[in-house]
Amino acid sequence: MDSNPSVVAKLDALVAELLAGWNLYTTLIAGGIVAFLVFSFVTSKDTDIHPFLLARQSTAFPVRQPGESAPYRSLETPHGFPLRSGLNVKDPGAPRWTSGRKGDLRDIWKAAVRGSVEEDGRVSGKQGKIYTVLGRKAIEHPLDQITQEINVIGNRLQSAKVNTVAICLTDSVELLAAIFAGAFYGIKTILIPHNLDAEALSALLKTSGAEALIGEAGALDLSLVAKGNEQLSQVIWVAKLGSRHMDWNDVPDDVKGTLEVRVWHELVEEKKDLAGLEVPSWDPSSPTSSVTTVWSSKSSAGEFVEYQPANLASGIAGLLYSLPRTQRYNPGDVVLSIDSLSRSYPLCHVMAALFSNASVALNSVAGESVDFALATVGVSPTVIVSSSRTMSEYHSQFMKPHSGPVSKLARWIQVRSLDSGYMPSHGFLNQVANAGPTAELSLDKLRLLCISHRVDADPEIQLDSEQLADLRILTGARVVYALTGPGVAGAVSQTNVFDYRRFQGPSHFGAPLSSVEVVLKGVSDGAEHEEGEIAVSGPSVISGKTTLAGRIRIRDDNTFELRH
Amino acid sequence: MSTPDEAVPPPAEVMIIASPINLILLSLFVILVYFQLRPKAPVSLPKGPPPVIFRTFTPTTLLPNNGTEDQPVYLAVRGRVFDVTPGRNFYGPGGPYENFAGRDASRGLACQSFDEEMLTKDLKGPLDDLKNLDDEQLENLQSWEERFSEKYLVVGKLVAEADFEA
Repeated sequence: MDSNPSVVAKLDALVAELLAGWNLYTTLIAGGIVAFLVFSFVTSKDTDIHPFLLARQSTAFPVRQPGESAPYRSLETPHGFPLRSGLNVKDPGAPRWTSGRKGDLRDIWKAAVRGSVEEDGRVSGKQGKIYTVLGRKAIEHPLDQITQEINVIGNRLQSAKVNTVAICLTDSVELLAAIFAGAFYGIKTILIPHNLDAEALSALLKTSGAEALIGEAGALDLSLVAKGNEQLSQVIWVAKLGSRHMDWNDVPDDVKGTLEVRVWHELVEEKKDLAGLEVPSWDPSSPTSSVTTVWSSKSSAGEFVEYQPANLASGIAGLLYSLPRTQRYNPGDVVLSIDSLSRSYPLCHVMAALFSNASVALNSVAGESVDFALATVGVSPTVIVSSSRTMSEYHSQFMKPHSGPVSKLARWIQVRSLDSGYMPSHGFLNQVANAGPTAELSLDKLRLLCISHRVDADPEIQLDSEQLADLRILTGARVVYALTGPGVAGAVSQTNVFDYRRFQGPSHFGAPLSSVEVVLKGVSDGAEHEEGEIAVSGPSVISGKTTLAGRIRIRDDNTFELRH
Repeated sequence: MSTPDEAVPPPAEVMIIASPINLILLSLFVILVYFQLRPKAPVSLPKGPPPVIFRTFTPTTLLPNNGTEDQPVYLAVRGRVFDVTPGRNFYGPGGPYENFAGRDASRGLACQSFDEEMLTKDLKGPLDDLKNLDDEQLENLQSWEERFSEKYLVVGKLVAEADFEA
């Protein structure tokens, strides 16, 4: 007790001595501290998503088979519950409490024509728009006119007793119309990439047994294509706007008599009064036809992947609901696909957009490898669907070389906000960061970038975390990165839209979609991280189950990392 | 007369930046800035328990899993082995159903009986084929099985000693 007062007194003296040194500098420093604290308090933001939701992004079943990993599922569809199998279409007049139908492509077109629905179920009837982008121009197509084309082409193919139609077109409104015509009129559609040479196309037509071909006028040599394809009886040419004055009805002599050649716009003009503007009605229990895409790989020109309507519905729903409510497609969106619709990921995204009454923009140059800057002019999209290759090339050719010290500093500041879990706001800093690297882009409204990576693609083009962060900062849009594989409609897995975390090396691919369950095969016991071949099952997978040619590893946050 | 010593201003009048209080405040500032700007590691959650490997049991290998000595409690219903450890109070040692732990419980559940004679005595012999059960008992068994499937995990299958491979 004796020494205590003296300790207090000593402390008092010490503080007094310290404070005696107070001067103008001290005031300045103290002011600086207060200002800094106030500044960081005012500018601090809540993270876009709770960090725990990113720390474990999928659930593993507690039991596994020997040699396999546990089955992994999305957090939306826990184990023991059915996977997401469809679009949950509610027919008008159906009781409110019933669960909806799975739906198919016909429901999607019907929803697009019907227009948007308010929260309370009222139909406001605001239709999305469909644009085709030609260079710097965007042409708008009324949905009624497309319905008419669907009816004309569908009727035409049906009356010619066609079971299977091969569609070899660039991304265009005719391609969409042909797919829907197939769905409404019960004709199998085969989407063939448009850049194939005549021989490869001929071989594909032969294996597919297509009786009809819809192709681009002037792009194909008919006698070459028809050679060895005796089953082929109908050809419909789609003439570009600039070349419609030419006569495309001419048939080469060697196939005269066996082939009937018509031109799309002439057919529509001729028959439009008969076909009507109404969406054909159908019995919801009646099956619709499948859509086949070609999965090209290094070893072969391509293998056919036939998606049943149920696969597509599930894949579309999986992609649609993989985005949280605030980020989903809404009627105000303009979705631009710069990846070819003959691939399932962009196709499902465009269908999802149509189903949500968003506007869709199609670009005839769309493909796996396009010039991002060129492909996005002409329209101001809110969502862009693109391939990993396009984005990786754009990043290495434009974003990286064109960033100077000023935009580097702005990037550093914005990366800090990404790291603390929220998107940097579209503001002054954003302008500064963009000044060099994305000067030529017209992406003011862009809010989401959907990028897909094929499981068997070149590892070189796989984006890493830094590139994704660059894309987020420079385009001001959130990014989802999806892993796709043959036989899985939509995607296998996709990153969380709010996952801005940065890691070393190539980016992970997030958690499985709610439409699939993923098991790894050939897993060695006792390894710290499960790694093996990807076996995907679920309603979006053709014949329910498939194994992909790739290996993934489960990371600590239960996301998938592609191994090479 | 002033001496030269008095001409020098007293040191307290000079504003020095390196005073102790300034140094303390400056270092506080630096620490604050550092904590605000330092890269933050993403949140990580502890890893869950590793998944149980699905196994093929025979009556003999199932027997040790009866809840004694910290073993899990397993029981088999029509060839499916359920992990009923969460219901240890019922199925574990001392519980009303303890006879079923580590055994094929199909017949006992069907007959609503916990008796010893409901269990297959010969562990090396064939599994109980449940042939002589009546419809009501089979229905009983069915509802038990559904209940188990809802509540517990299937961690393996039960086969007779003779059918066991590898």
